Amino acid sequence: MTRKRIEITTGFVQADYNFWVGKYMDKFYDGLESKQVLGNRCPTCNRVFVPPRKVCGNCFKTIDLSNNWVKLKDTGTLRNFTTTRIAVSEAGKKKTSEAIPIGMVQFDGSDTSVVYPLLDVQEKDLTIGLKVQVVWNDELKGHPRDIKGFRMLKGGER
Amino acid sequence: MSKQQAAIVSAGFCEHASKRSDVNMAEMANEAIQDCLNNANIEMDAVDAIVMGNMPAFEGANLPELWMTDWVGARDKPLIRVTTGGTTGGSVAIAGYYHVAAGLPGIETVLAVAFEQQSCGNTSVGLSSVALGEISIVNALGLPAESAMRIFGAGAAIGIASYQAINYMKRSGCTEEDLARVVVQNRRNAAKNWWTHLKMPDYTIEQVMATPYVSYPLRFGMVTPASDGACAVLFTREEIAKDTVDIPAYVNGVSSVANETGIVGYAAAGAGQLDPCEQLGAVESAKLAYSQAGISFPEKEIDYAEVYSPFPNQELMWLERLGLFKENTAHLRYRDGTTAPNGELPVNCSGGVNSTNAIGASGLERVAEAALQIMGKAENQVPKTVHTSIGHGWGGCINFVTLTVLSDQPRRK
Repeated sequence: MTRKRIEITTGFVQADYNFWVGKYMDKFYDGLESKQVLGNRCPTCNRVFVPPRKVCGNCFKTIDLSNNWVKLKDTGTLRNFTTTRIAVSEAGKKKTSEAIPIGMVQFDGSDTSVVYPLLDVQEKDLTIGLKVQVVWNDELKGHPRDIKGFRMLKGGER
Repeated sequence: MSKQQAAIVSAGFCEHASKRSDVNMAEMANEAIQDCLNNANIEMDAVDAIVMGNMPAFEGANLPELWMTDWVGARDKPLIRVTTGGTTGGSVAIAGYYHVAAGLPGIETVLAVAFEQQSCGNTSVGLSSVALGEISIVNALGLPAESAMRIFGAGAAIGIASYQAINYMKRSGCTEEDLARVVVQNRRNAAKNWWTHLKMPDYTIEQVMATPYVSYPLRFGMVTPASDGACAVLFTREEIAKDTVDIPAYVNGVSSVANETGIVGYAAAGAGQLDPCEQLGAVESAKLAYSQAGISFPEKEIDYAEVYSPFPNQELMWLERLGLFKENTAHLRYRDGTTAPNGELPVNCSGGVNSTNAIGASGLERVAEAALQIMGKAENQVPKTVHTSIGHGWGGCINFVTLTVLSDQPRRK
């Protein structure tokens, strides 16, 4: 059997996708613009979600949009961490000489965690349970990146 | 473990629109589920398993069944996703039925949910992955790949429907005005339902005919919209159904039939059909589902039909292929009012896919509306008593047909 390419076609397809954040996340992002971390509380099981959600995953109850909001401090606890040597941004990715620490942080008063870079800290100094605080970006736009990352608070481990 | 008689006891919807940017995908699907549970006055705890479905990656978000688990109430419960192109919703309904009918221990009540948030995605790109599925079809059409890309990528479903329309019109003597009449009836029906997309209570044939052609003979005013929306349906066993609602809609027959694989309905493989409006898949699906339901004379025994027709010619074609009208006469039944809500065989009182098309949900919405008409709970309830109804789906690689037969009586044993 002989093989022969009959036709080779190259083309370009552009596909734009959206994701609507919905009213709950909308409020969360609006909060960031004024350096306010917002969560919401399930009236049934009292869990506090950051970011807020419309339906409690445990109770399957709709959390009313008009109340149940919880204003949180910008401090939290490091619950887990890792480091990466590849910096990823919208422009692409590149290798870095220094490790970038990333952490799972539980905001004080919440039952969930968020994942953000950990700033000004060495790999070797990281440990679960460290107290951390939000470092806000200079420019606030109601965007996830309004939170630049978290810095370690003095006082160390809990 | 023995086979169970399954019934539908509730259905729910969310508001459909071209852009539901006030909710994310998960929140949108959840709205329909809450509506469905509220309508039956039951809690999620009573649901034993979940079936869900949407089109493959139309929103650009893969594996929604995994990250939406909490939102569809599937925590700690069996969950399966079904996706079969345009018939997704029809297949979700059938899967919901199978779950209950199988009589598995502990699986008595099953929630079926289907959704699509088309405003998030790129439908043409999504469809092209379906249309270009089989390269032999492209060869059979004598098209270089580049031209085929252009046709399938841009033309989407309307290209297929127009071929069907040309043959149907030639066969039956149906006019363009007849097609417009179907659209007008659908859009006016849609206006009587709270959840539908294109509500046009004063739409006229003249208005339809004044719009330009998109793909001859189909005009802009005849074309299905792209909607965001979701639908949920609750299936349960006979004895629970009787305790839940006055009139359950018993599921007495289901079928899924694939016909030839053909991009424009022509024979590229398979059955060797030359007429795109022949639709052997629909004919065969009707035979199968009706025999299960014990229906020998569909035109007499079926009281209500929800058929999957994004384009008006398809509504005529399906009604004939599904045995509800004699061949080449469906358009006449629209002229004499047979298919109107107060007619002898009301069709698509929800406004149909022609008025609302959140693709993944559309097939399930047909089943939901067919059930609600039996239960007497439809928003646009027909005046006559509906004993037996059908919910039909069409899609896949345009070759796939799903059919569900519902009745106010359990299947004759």
